[in-house]
Amino acid sequence: MSDLDRAIEQLRQCRPIPELQVREICFKAREILIEEANVQIVDAPVTICGDIHGQFHDLMELFRVGGDCPDTNYLFMGDFVDRGFYSLESFLLLLCLKVRYPDRITLIRGNHESRQITTVYGFYDECIRKYGSANVWRYCCDVFDYLALGALVIGAGSSVQPTRLADGEDAETKVREAEDEVEIEVIGLGGVVTRQMSRRDAGMINSTNLTPSALPHLSSSGPAGALLTGVPGTGASGNSRGIANSNTPTNTGGAVLCVHGGLSPLIDSVDKIRLLDRKQEVPHDGAMCDLLWSDPEEIDGWGLSPRGAGFLFGADIVKQFNHLNNLTLIARAHQLVMEGFKEMFDSSIVTVWSAPNYCYRCGNVAAILELGEDNSNAVLRSGGEEVLFNRENTRRLASTYMGGSMKRGGPGRRYRVFEAAAQDSRGMPSKKPMPYYFL
Amino acid sequence: MAIPTRFATPSMAAPPSSAEKDRTVQQTDMDALVSRCSAIQTGYLTDPYAEMFLDISTPRDKRYPLINRGTYIRTTALDQIVESFLSRPFPGRKQIISLGAGSDTRFFRLAADKSLKLLYHEFDFPQVTSRKITAIQKNRELAAIISEFGQADSLQDSTSVPGFRVDARTGSLSSPCYYIHPIDLRTLKPGVPLPAGIDATLPTLFISECCLIYLSPNEADDIFRWITNSFGQASESTSNGVGIVLYEPIGGDDSFGKVMIRNLSQRGIVLRTLQRYSTLERQKERMKVLGFSTGMGACDVNFIHDEWIDSKEKERIDGLELLDEREEWVLLAKHYCIAWGWVERHATSGPADNLSFQNWSQFPLQRV
Repeated sequence: MSDLDRAIEQLRQCRPIPELQVREICFKAREILIEEANVQIVDAPVTICGDIHGQFHDLMELFRVGGDCPDTNYLFMGDFVDRGFYSLESFLLLLCLKVRYPDRITLIRGNHESRQITTVYGFYDECIRKYGSANVWRYCCDVFDYLALGALVIGAGSSVQPTRLADGEDAETKVREAEDEVEIEVIGLGGVVTRQMSRRDAGMINSTNLTPSALPHLSSSGPAGALLTGVPGTGASGNSRGIANSNTPTNTGGAVLCVHGGLSPLIDSVDKIRLLDRKQEVPHDGAMCDLLWSDPEEIDGWGLSPRGAGFLFGADIVKQFNHLNNLTLIARAHQLVMEGFKEMFDSSIVTVWSAPNYCYRCGNVAAILELGEDNSNAVLRSGGEEVLFNRENTRRLASTYMGGSMKRGGPGRRYRVFEAAAQDSRGMPSKKPMPYYFL
Repeated sequence: MAIPTRFATPSMAAPPSSAEKDRTVQQTDMDALVSRCSAIQTGYLTDPYAEMFLDISTPRDKRYPLINRGTYIRTTALDQIVESFLSRPFPGRKQIISLGAGSDTRFFRLAADKSLKLLYHEFDFPQVTSRKITAIQKNRELAAIISEFGQADSLQDSTSVPGFRVDARTGSLSSPCYYIHPIDLRTLKPGVPLPAGIDATLPTLFISECCLIYLSPNEADDIFRWITNSFGQASESTSNGVGIVLYEPIGGDDSFGKVMIRNLSQRGIVLRTLQRYSTLERQKERMKVLGFSTGMGACDVNFIHDEWIDSKEKERIDGLELLDEREEWVLLAKHYCIAWGWVERHATSGPADNLSFQNWSQFPLQRV
């Protein structure tokens, strides 16, 4: 067993590794990350995860639900550290996995992967507490500067393979029309398939059945395994009908841009992200800051962010960006959503949140997003990036789909919802959480 | 020798005694004080006095931005309610009675205005009042404020001496304008006489900041009745009303609320009236039913943040520190409320503009 494998084993037990080894691993990680592009290209299948925030035991739960690395290909959209009690163990484990399996895990930068923010929100203090000095914090911050700013998932299929129901009955038979492909599947708590939607169903969704009636782990109602018609937080709508036709390039799920926060008024193409000089502390403003700080909001155009950094952006901005860049979906994290995930703007953007019972206080569930492989006709995938960002190709697609009003089906998406690990789970050290309230 | 199994696990330990439970509730005051100091330090609030009540041994933790913001909104909202009460013209003194006041500094902040005609009382456990009085005795500035406040009045009255008296044994302090009463709030029920120094003929405002919620629902209701019985009769004859303002958690039914209840109970803190008064509607109903029937209102802290703070001030607050906890803030802030109610009758002879609580009906109200 190599030192690295031993370190992974130790970190999996939620035990910190020696300072010298941290230094070594951070150095190796930097060598790997320095070679990565600002926007890493990632092949589907991939499992996309949102904020972790040092909730180590919940990260273990995530791996239990989503499969272990390297068996599952992972993409983490940042905010590994701060707020939770185990930022150090969580980040170092992910980093060790990156060094050990560089092609099976992608880490992109969140707004908390910053010197300034970690001194306010806990990671700095945690390093001092666990090592007695700021050295480890410094090593980690140096790695933060090299993390990619985004990722582009290519080769995702337009549908997901329906999961079989627990009782052995094929879930497909419960879909409105059995022959339809499943665009969206939600696996709720306990691995139970709670919803499956074909593209046809998705077109019929209206806003009245988007809100989940209650959080599953706290409600006693709702028959397990029942297939409901709506997806929590799903704004899926529009004429995806006909686009699933197997002769068009859209029978792949298209490209999915993953970024921690969102878009920037200074960035109108994915290529512009590639031009940024990312190897620095997160600036207070500018394109790089916006990518890590911005939020989608029900507004027209751009708005000021109440966070004090980044911007708010509306549906028109997302649709235009996706159209110009030939994207079918933007996946981002950054905002707590009680249901674990939330699709907005006709499913053109999704927030994925992977920290259950955030800060040991919020009572939310978490989710991860699985994008499957395209098994039918890999037109776009074979060309890879070149085809995707070829201007000719973009123009051709644009004219095919009537300019700005083009609507495309998103990739097949499977959301796995999970809740917080039991506090005393698996005999690992676990500090009793003392979240703050006003008293 | 084997340890008998009944002693083996912590879960078999005896349940906390009532003294221990009381101590846990008393410690919530220090918790709130540290938060107050953090909000002051960061520039949200101006209050030179809070730190004077902080023990040297208490760690001066810097709180997260959303906690600072919450502390700021809580303080500012109560300030607005108090200011509205005090600013109505009135020929004589007004009275404020702070329940479970702990190390609150509101009296000292108000006393900066030496022209204010005010009688101020604080109630709390003797353990808490003793600590506060010790801090006052050790600090010349605090002692001087108490001695000097209201002196303009007392000079005319040759019988009262400037300064204040302290009974260290009971944990009480009295001065012409400021009293600290060592009182267990659970003893206050209809029929219990008013503590010394309280004047039931004055327009009177009661304040409870995260205090009554730790009592049993019946005990908390009894305090309301004690207030409206003791002051209600006076107010009928003299037209000087009585009002109350509460700041406390609401909404225990959703997942955030359930986690809140569970987390706090692990610290031994039980929000005993939460279930009965869990919504803004129920808080308003509580006011009406228990005697504060002239007018009432309730808003959650998120609404107050959005609607009670003017845009310029909000801009200032936004500039103090990055708030990377927006969704969490909304969630947290919707689980705390300010509720207020008053009873005040028009005097047959007196002028209508003597109504001290009249402006309480002008706060922006939340539609439920």
